[in-house]
Amino acid sequence: MSVRFDFMHFMPYVHLPENHKEYHSTWVDFPNKYYDAKKGYALYQRYLAELVMADKVGFDAVVVNEHHNTAYSMMAAPNLIAAAIIPQIKNAKICVWGTPPNLEYPNRLAEEYAMLDVMSQGRLEVAFPLGTGMEYWANPINPSNARERHRESIDIILQAWTQDGPTTYYGDFYTYRYLNPWPRPYQKPHPPCYIVGTGSQETIDLAAKLGFGYSSVFVTKQRAQELNQTLRRLAAENGHHIQPEQLPLQVITYVAETQEKAEEEAIPHIRFFFEDALRTTPTFLAPPGYLSVLELKKRAALADKLHGAFSFETVNESFFVAVGTADQVVEKLQEWGERVGTNHFNLLAAIGNMPHWKVVKNLTNIGQDVIPRMRARASTERRVAAE
Amino acid sequence: MTATAFPPQFKRETHTVNGVKTIVLTAGSGPPLVFLHGAGIWHGINFAVPWTQKFRVIVPFHPGFGEADDDPAMTEIHDYVMHYLDLFDALGLDKFHLVGFSLGGWLAANFAVEHGHRVARLVLVGPAGLRGKERPKGDFFLLPPEKIPSLLVSNFDVIKPFLPEDPKDLDFMGARYREGGTLARLLWEHPYDTKLPRYMHRLTMPTLLVWGEDDKLLPVQNAELWRQRIPKAEFQTFKGAGHLVLDEKREAVDAVQRFLS
Repeated sequence: MSVRFDFMHFMPYVHLPENHKEYHSTWVDFPNKYYDAKKGYALYQRYLAELVMADKVGFDAVVVNEHHNTAYSMMAAPNLIAAAIIPQIKNAKICVWGTPPNLEYPNRLAEEYAMLDVMSQGRLEVAFPLGTGMEYWANPINPSNARERHRESIDIILQAWTQDGPTTYYGDFYTYRYLNPWPRPYQKPHPPCYIVGTGSQETIDLAAKLGFGYSSVFVTKQRAQELNQTLRRLAAENGHHIQPEQLPLQVITYVAETQEKAEEEAIPHIRFFFEDALRTTPTFLAPPGYLSVLELKKRAALADKLHGAFSFETVNESFFVAVGTADQVVEKLQEWGERVGTNHFNLLAAIGNMPHWKVVKNLTNIGQDVIPRMRARASTERRVAAE
Repeated sequence: MTATAFPPQFKRETHTVNGVKTIVLTAGSGPPLVFLHGAGIWHGINFAVPWTQKFRVIVPFHPGFGEADDDPAMTEIHDYVMHYLDLFDALGLDKFHLVGFSLGGWLAANFAVEHGHRVARLVLVGPAGLRGKERPKGDFFLLPPEKIPSLLVSNFDVIKPFLPEDPKDLDFMGARYREGGTLARLLWEHPYDTKLPRYMHRLTMPTLLVWGEDDKLLPVQNAELWRQRIPKAEFQTFKGAGHLVLDEKREAVDAVQRFLS
């Protein structure tokens, strides 16, 4: 089995004001007066360079995504980031995972993704997230029928990509009299597609029905394993065979000389990520009608259980976190990959407010000591299997 | 949890209207009085008990609220007008008094605009639905859920018995979230009615407008929006009462009764 490594960047705005803890959220209503464009410029320069570097040190793909009204991410429009890096990235795939289709006109999203696919000579991969609850507070879209709109939007995009235009579409949300977008995707019939989700049954069902990959985010180790099993089973029932590569595993990764050094260097930024970048309210997470009542109660009960100060031990135990030496990280990835049935690792390797030098060090170590070893192991296993 | 303890004299009937199951509470005898509740009915209807001495009081649950079933296909106020047209026909209600509170006031006004010949007298209690020149007041979705109960009343003791002891009670939280979802289907895009003002000249039946002077959800200044368009409406406000003016002030309940008698 081959192995694939992605580098995912969130591009956070890290220069939070000193009093930022006084705000209940760094999303939705966190005042944008705290955004300093000059600092933003410097961050974009740096973050774009980090994405380009990942390609040079041997990552197979770079991943960007979309969020609004938040210091968590400066990628309100990830296609702009993708367009900026395409000319600088020679080998890696460009993954836009992605723009929530509900936040754009479906034909326009089909066009933009087709543009990126053509511009990159077929290196684009896309995901169709529903969008976090927070996006529905920031955008003028009704959360109560978001799932229905999401399905219709994807349906339109796939029709635009797979059928020769002009076609028509008469839906519940959109009417197209001439669905005929130019350009069309470079990859045929279209770029690889994923659903991104936090594990709700509805998103799993959708991925299974469409035969898309599924990227679970912020789910516990136990849950990720269950989700992948469920997806494989449900997809098979729909006549799709899910490949390991379609199940990217998101791992917070930091590699240093010793475990102590790795933890010392990484933990403050993991703390920032969970405590500050991800700080939001239950109401922002679940706008009315966005979740089923059952799901809301499940999450409320879980949030109550996880409530409390940040603890690296808890995070390390619950989530996929690989912080240590290259040997340790290789061992963990190997074990987790086998457990959840994937060969595709999506590494969060620029974590929270991590300074540039640590990201460079981390990417270098991963590129030199983790990726080659994992590839070597994979090819040995392939040879053994062949014999 | 005591939220659904309705007064014992009210009898419960189940009705299925166009495929949606709903519960109708009825008590008393006399001319029919239909009460349309707000965006939640967990605070009970104790205030309606005095009315049962003179009226047949009919309190239906709106689809998506309280004990009624959901119907996700009901996505605009007019769907509720049509729902009530069916329900009132099923109940054999030809002409009746219509009292609407908050969201129910918005709904009552829409019903009365379209089917005025069936409404003997109209009472709007702290009605939602009209947009002021400034930012629309009373955008329910801007309120943090944990603060909503205290924003509903002037005197918190009035609704305390209807709230769970544990503020994180999952069943109560889930029930309110479900009603919030129903409300989002109706008015996420516009927390006000863009069409109603155009037709309010049709509210020619005797109309009473009631408001709590300490209404923190829909401040009493909003009454002006209604009074401008229903110039003949009687208008009464009550001191020491919040949005739930009927729950808080017996005088308001009596004023409604006098107006309808």
